[in-house]
Amino acid sequence: MAETLLWVLPLVPTITALLMLTTRDRRILSAIDVGSSAVLFALTLVLAREVAAGGPQALGVLRLDDLGLVFLLLLVVLTLAVSIYTVGWLRQAVAVGNMKAESLRSYFSLVHAFVATMVVTVLADNLGVLWIAMEGTTITSAVLIGYHGHQHGLEAAWKYIIVTTIGISFGLFGTVLVYAAATDVIGGAGAMSWSAIMKVAPTLDPGIVRIGFIFVMIGYGAKAGFAPMHLWLPDAHSQAPTPVGALLSGILIKCALLAIIRFQTIAAAACGPAFPAEVLLVFGLTSVVVATPFILAQYDIKRLLGYHSVEHVGIVALGLGFGGSVGTYGALLHVVNHGITKALAFFAAGTAIARYGSRDMRVIRGLLAVAPIAGTLLMLAALSLAGMAPFSIFVSELMVLRAGVGHDHWVAIAIFLAMVVVIFAGLLHHVGAMAFGGPTPAAGREAEAWSPLLGMLLLAAIMVLLGLTIPASFDGLLQRATGVVVG
Amino acid sequence: MSPETVQTIIDDLGALLLFTMILIIAAGQISRAIYAVAAQSLLIAMAGAVLATATGNADLWVIAGVTLAIKAIVLPWVLHWVVRRMNVRREVEPVIPVSATLALAVVVVVMSFHLSASLGPVRQAITGNALPVGIALTLLGVLVMATRKTALTQMVGLFASENGIFFTAMAVTQGMPLIIEIGVILDVILAALVMTIMVLRVRSTVDADIADLDRLRG
Repeated sequence: MAETLLWVLPLVPTITALLMLTTRDRRILSAIDVGSSAVLFALTLVLAREVAAGGPQALGVLRLDDLGLVFLLLLVVLTLAVSIYTVGWLRQAVAVGNMKAESLRSYFSLVHAFVATMVVTVLADNLGVLWIAMEGTTITSAVLIGYHGHQHGLEAAWKYIIVTTIGISFGLFGTVLVYAAATDVIGGAGAMSWSAIMKVAPTLDPGIVRIGFIFVMIGYGAKAGFAPMHLWLPDAHSQAPTPVGALLSGILIKCALLAIIRFQTIAAAACGPAFPAEVLLVFGLTSVVVATPFILAQYDIKRLLGYHSVEHVGIVALGLGFGGSVGTYGALLHVVNHGITKALAFFAAGTAIARYGSRDMRVIRGLLAVAPIAGTLLMLAALSLAGMAPFSIFVSELMVLRAGVGHDHWVAIAIFLAMVVVIFAGLLHHVGAMAFGGPTPAAGREAEAWSPLLGMLLLAAIMVLLGLTIPASFDGLLQRATGVVVG
Repeated sequence: MSPETVQTIIDDLGALLLFTMILIIAAGQISRAIYAVAAQSLLIAMAGAVLATATGNADLWVIAGVTLAIKAIVLPWVLHWVVRRMNVRREVEPVIPVSATLALAVVVVVMSFHLSASLGPVRQAITGNALPVGIALTLLGVLVMATRKTALTQMVGLFASENGIFFTAMAVTQGMPLIIEIGVILDVILAALVMTIMVLRVRSTVDADIADLDRLRG
């Protein structure tokens, strides 16, 4: 029964995507949107119980283990929050003409197709299926990024589709190389299945796996937004419609990270853990360092958030690179924390942009006065993103640091700390100026709509909760997921 | 066919593939680059047919057929159609001189062979020189994309890059699972479709090449 659910899960958004094409009414579309996301959420909870009780579930090319479950939970929570946020966001966007009322169904249809492909990347056990689904996310989200149809959106979409498509063709090459190494040991059948490869991973040829891992790291790393392959990221994440931007920054780059973790475990078993760890450290540090000056010198609030995502995937890579149970646990927790917080920040930023009619942080002034709740949430999200205690990101960054100290990576820690402190100051400066002071006269002063607030409050509640305490069941899940990676 | 014959044929096809890659890099006009990438896909299909005969793997026939139909005929035809219809600039507009790109290409090829020569035992799993040729094609495809300013040439680079991956994948002793290869080709078609629509859309709204837009900075 639980195994069948593995196939039902991607089917829910797929069928929803088709269903969306049958109507043009905004209210009905929004209702289907929220309903479908809620169903996806509920089904995932059922699956989560099965996995917690009976271990990994597998059927055909799909498989869900504790590691995948961490990402799946983040995915469904964000999808639900995005759907709720979209109700009010869309009403406003249609009213001001940002979205055309007659083309809404294709928008919703694409969003759910995008969600379906992401669900498959998380569930895929077959590395080929993983790649196909990953390219699927590129195609669907590229159309969404250019959805507004203006020149900037299309430019961002082109850069995105070119860089990530070429990136993940490297990923495909890496997959082929790992497959070639695996067929040498276990023959053709099943040599693409991650779980089958893991059983024989220590006997794989280290030379070919090493090259394969580097290709995968560059390939899926481009999709995850590691510097120096990150050039598309701030453009794409800032030009996409707000709900899509939240999905891109919140979960899509995490799906690519999951793919990297899958290959990291293979490479660690075949060539020893030191090799993939070094590669991850190099990319992690580069990303943190490269993102910093752009965060400081940024005026566009959404680009700021985009560059910030580059920094945070860097931190996740550092956690994975420092390794050990603490580092890996910290990295996985950081994936969840950053996903939740960044989506919240995108929502709040989108609301602010709609009010001021500008994305320039020098124009957005006195947000707390015109939109007290959204302004407060933006402040909270920014404080959390900056790494302020007691928010969730502080906890996971601390774990990553502790793992680094435990393994004597002093240089990496010094660079990491310096950058985090600089970004902390830069982010607080930016957000403080936006939140306080007298509002710009042009600012919209209408009452805050309930649905965007509800979506944001849902995420804010999780963010605060994870900062104060990690629930025992979630802690257990993260422990087991860490076990999958560290072995 | 004996394994030695197969290996010789694959190596010869690999040499021809590298030659078509040089043609793509050296092409001064978009249409020539498109012809070259079509020829390259044709060679990939031939390699698939040879390996299918040699290994008796029926899946490879399907893959060879699909490659021939899609990558050697349909996609190049679509690219030509776009060139004609949109009356886009016919020159490829390199960012750095073509001669410099060619010199870089030589370095890439030598490095690819050097890299796979360092992998002794692995190469049993992959026929002949398919691994270094595949790596070289993939990297050179990226080189083309990085050094050209027009959208269509970037797409040609992308297809060439993917040809390299297919060549290596076919030459893995057991072949890739058919369903995966079909999925990959489907993705390539969809990506090409979306890119074509974007190119046409930008051309029709602002009369510029989409790859040339550079408003988003910093």
